[in-house]
Amino acid sequence: MATTKLGFVVQRPGYKSENPKLALTHAIASQSVEIYLQDGDLVTADIAFIGDGVLNCIKGQKAVENYDLNSTESHIKMALLLDLNVLVCKEDLDRYGLSESDIVIDAPEFGADMEVKVVPYSEITQMMEEMNHLLFF
Amino acid sequence: MKLVAFVSDYKMTVDTLDRLKPEKLGIILVQNGVYHATTKENGKPSSLLNYSANYYVLQEDLETRGLSGANVLDSKVKVIKFGDIVDLLFNEYDKSAWL
Repeated sequence: MATTKLGFVVQRPGYKSENPKLALTHAIASQSVEIYLQDGDLVTADIAFIGDGVLNCIKGQKAVENYDLNSTESHIKMALLLDLNVLVCKEDLDRYGLSESDIVIDAPEFGADMEVKVVPYSEITQMMEEMNHLLFF
Repeated sequence: MKLVAFVSDYKMTVDTLDRLKPEKLGIILVQNGVYHATTKENGKPSSLLNYSANYYVLQEDLETRGLSGANVLDSKVKVIKFGDIVDLLFNEYDKSAWL
């Protein structure tokens, strides 16, 4: 029995490139590999938004209405529905004058129990140290 | 020359705007360029807003990023739609550039 821990670190703002959204889709897809695993083996995925990447978390995104695109916001909510650990760097939120009330925190409409955690960068560093594989987006 | 420049990135890697000296300059903030109009880093507005220029920001790209509130927008910047961009290009400026 083994657990493989994947860490996805998003450090760019969204939409101009697919890059940040790919982090989320990869993290979400990582939870569908059960059929390839031995009994008892697990793959976990943590997602951290740092630097300009925290701008992905601003709530109220109207990507469907304007461009017929699924929003990054809805991807974050899907990650919460799958019980992924989603972290947002507090120092970077502060740098942009953003608070918890400005960003996606939960997804009750999706039936998600998990919430986004706003944490100091030291906790994100700790998370990165615990991962088996780190992927930067 | 009357020039309108589209800015589509938040972190600029070129200094083209510093080198241009048009008689009239317009700057249209699109895609991730819209963050220049809304985001204050450490309380300071973007340095891109320091040019002597007319500033515009695309409403659709603001809304897509969850930035539709008027309270988040710098007062120098006017919100426009796609149709307004066409009017600006045809009526107000001779040339356009995409940065």
